[in-house]
Amino acid sequence: MMKSFIFLILAMLLAPIYAALILKVKAFFGGRKGSPLLIHYYTLIKLLKKGSVYSTSTTVIFKLGPVISFSATAMVLMFLPIAGQAPLFSFDGDVIFLLYLLGLGRFFTIAAAMDTASPFEGMGAAREAYFPIICEATLFMTLILFYTLSGELNLAAFFSGAQPLGLWHMAGVPMLFVVIALFIVLLAENSRVPVDDPATHLELTMIHEVMVLDHSGPDFAFIELGSFFKLFFYSALVTRLIAPVPFRHPMVDAFVFFSIMTLVYTAIGVTESVMARYRMDKVPKFVLTSFALAFFATVITLEFVK
Amino acid sequence: MNSFFLSMLVIVCGGILPLFLWRQFALMKAVSVLAIGSGCLLGLLNAWAGLTRPVNGAVEFSYLGNFSLSFHMDTLSAYFLIVIFGVSLIAALYSFHYMRNAQKALRTAVHYLFFSLLVMAMSLVVTASNLITFILAWEIMSLSSFFLVAYNYEAAENRKAGYLYFVFSQVGAMFLLAAFGIIYAHGGSFAFDAAAALPESAKILVFVLAFIGFGSKAGVFPFHVWLPHAHPAAPSHISAVMSGVMIKTGIYGILRIYVMLDWHCALFGDIVLIAGMLSGVLGVVYALGQHDLKRLLAYHSVENIGIILIGIGIGMIGVAAGKPVMAVLGFSGGLLHVLNHALFKSLLFMGAGMVLHQTGTRAIDALGGLIKKMRVTGTTFLIGSLAISGLPPFNGFVSEFLVYMGGFNGVALSSRGFALSLLAIVSLATIGGLALACFTKVVGVVFQGEPRSDAARDAEEKGLLMMVPMIVLAGACIVIGVFPTFFMTMTLKAVASVGLGYGRIPMEPFVILTANITRGAFLFLTVLLAVLALRSLLYRGKTIARSGTWGCGFTQPTVKMQYTGSSYAASILEFFKPAAPLSESYRPIQGCFPAGTHYRSHVHDLAEMQMGPLIVRPVLWLFDKLRWLQHGDIHLYIGYILLAIVVVLFFV
Repeated sequence: MMKSFIFLILAMLLAPIYAALILKVKAFFGGRKGSPLLIHYYTLIKLLKKGSVYSTSTTVIFKLGPVISFSATAMVLMFLPIAGQAPLFSFDGDVIFLLYLLGLGRFFTIAAAMDTASPFEGMGAAREAYFPIICEATLFMTLILFYTLSGELNLAAFFSGAQPLGLWHMAGVPMLFVVIALFIVLLAENSRVPVDDPATHLELTMIHEVMVLDHSGPDFAFIELGSFFKLFFYSALVTRLIAPVPFRHPMVDAFVFFSIMTLVYTAIGVTESVMARYRMDKVPKFVLTSFALAFFATVITLEFVK
Repeated sequence: MNSFFLSMLVIVCGGILPLFLWRQFALMKAVSVLAIGSGCLLGLLNAWAGLTRPVNGAVEFSYLGNFSLSFHMDTLSAYFLIVIFGVSLIAALYSFHYMRNAQKALRTAVHYLFFSLLVMAMSLVVTASNLITFILAWEIMSLSSFFLVAYNYEAAENRKAGYLYFVFSQVGAMFLLAAFGIIYAHGGSFAFDAAAALPESAKILVFVLAFIGFGSKAGVFPFHVWLPHAHPAAPSHISAVMSGVMIKTGIYGILRIYVMLDWHCALFGDIVLIAGMLSGVLGVVYALGQHDLKRLLAYHSVENIGIILIGIGIGMIGVAAGKPVMAVLGFSGGLLHVLNHALFKSLLFMGAGMVLHQTGTRAIDALGGLIKKMRVTGTTFLIGSLAISGLPPFNGFVSEFLVYMGGFNGVALSSRGFALSLLAIVSLATIGGLALACFTKVVGVVFQGEPRSDAARDAEEKGLLMMVPMIVLAGACIVIGVFPTFFMTMTLKAVASVGLGYGRIPMEPFVILTANITRGAFLFLTVLLAVLALRSLLYRGKTIARSGTWGCGFTQPTVKMQYTGSSYAASILEFFKPAAPLSESYRPIQGCFPAGTHYRSHVHDLAEMQMGPLIVRPVLWLFDKLRWLQHGDIHLYIGYILLAIVVVLFFV
């Protein structure tokens, strides 16, 4: 329990640093030195010190948006087994609860964007409502696979304990598909290149960034921190699948886990450096690939299990 | 059962008295609402007693000689009665301030008559215990609701909606009569039990016929065509009752025929599940493409009936495969969704009614910013939207969660069961995402942003009795979402009457699931409160300014530039184009000084589109060819009758 709590705090503290790693990788590819790894901390502190400007069009929903989406992502981390440790909380079917909780966060992010009456934010909101539909289908397809393998439906059963799911599991080969599918979902859900470009300068082409244009000060800090948490969550899923069987020593397991996390974040950075953003109408096809992969993995695994 | 008939009597009194009191408009409404309301309350208490302490034995009236009327209340009936009386009570309250046109006093009085008849007929449908009683109550229900749909008969589109509904309900009833006829032909009895003795091939035929008949009432794709026409036409509290409760009698019918046939055949489950998935996904896709608020909500009824059927289908497959946990989860999830959908859908229709009342328009793209003036309506509508999108901690999530758990149990089945469970889970996930997109559109465009028309700018809310029902319903959505255990036990009691052959269903394994939802909800609320506290701490002593929305450098924004509902949904609809053909008409923008332009789009409903060429035209052609039979000669008509009687006497 205590260990889980320490790991949770560690994860929350590390999430902004990991996100800065992506910037570092991109800077490396661009031949620059790049901003320090603590850059997101500096930004967060700066934001927390500020006040806020609210649009005259907005209502209380606009203020609720960041709070609810941040609470949802923070709560998801509490159910996530970090480095093979049992999570703080867990119950039968918690994955469904968490995915829908992220849905609640998304509902309020979109509602906050629509609250501003800005055409740009509406555009972003429409895209934010669209792509996750396909991601959700992929995630549930993956859950079906995980359920057939483990017979349970909670993150703790999938990723902690003696026999966590992953490439080293008996059904490891189709799991490769799942790793790729989840990586695509990670890119789409966290608005990374090639789905969305967080560093672009043109509001018309953004998805997530344009929706939060009007947020400022601590509200914006909540949004930023929430998005780091969400990225950490998805990366941890991918990491856990790649990671080897647990060594049953918390320090070793933690070391392995956080090293692979570094690799996953580096992979995101490399993807962002070598690829351009897809045209908007190509994005659904890209995300659908993940669904197809998850589907094949499930079907193939069924043969294995037989 | 006596107190049940007493409540029927009180409700019908509430319908008949207005016919004598219509000259005193307010008095008439008060008397009617009080009588219908107290009748519903009495019925609610009685149904609650019927659910917790089931009474055996039917009440029989040999009123029509050979055709005796017989009633019986088991826990399944009692469960549906709770939904019927609960929503009707709230809708009756809402009607007091909604029906405010004193010029139409007589019409309002007639509306109360048919409203009370509708409530009575729905209650009789779910308590009927032989085929004759059932079909009689069913027809009273269809006819009384037809007159309610045709309430605003001056508008041609409303007359068309009424006509369409009439045709659909009568054709549906024809299928039911065919199914009941087969049962009678085999057993020679109108009793429900007679159906169990049918040979298996006849059972399949009966089930399919009855499924079409009940499905056309429930709004199952492709028999849902009347629904999006009828709901916008009716007054809003009638839409709430029809969409929230009346279409559920179709679900009750499907369950009842399943109980009657007493055959746990996987094929039934397959049919129900596939129909459920089709209705669920297509319903929400069509909903997304609507521009009319009430039409959009009507399509969401198709979607939610789909979710209910997915639950019931999973249950049926579970029974056939010998998996009790899956079966109970499927059935109770479906039944709980019956209650949940009744609550949030009537809430949403009442909210839409308030919007319609205050702005005079149902066009989504003409509204905007309403939540600022209409706080109660806006907030409760938001809660209803969250609930219908199936998000925790609201009630829609609970039932979807149970159906999901049932579906995951089915993944362990052999090939066909596995494939269907997999499809069910993926379609539920897709429905969830699409519903979220659809309701962010509704809330975002109708209630948020800036008003897009003068009507929307000047809107304000009034009518205390319109707001109280919405607050009660929104409260119920939250209570069920946070404390589902109590309601879960209710549905488990109802499932006990479905005749799964398990004897007593243990509560513990299922109550654990709902207790977990309570834990999760509390945890989330704790985190939320902590973050809110942190937020107010962080904002202490800070300067908070208000200014215009950032226009990305553009300094002269107008409300016309806001994203509309049509543009919001456009890209998603593009994806579903094969299932939802889109027709657009617009004048392209050309030159440096473009002239005025317009954009019109319409999403075609596949079922509605194909109904003409595939069904209506062949039927018309056939009847055209038979026109010579109808020549207007009365002598020959009498001859037909004689001939028919002779044929019947000799050959049957």
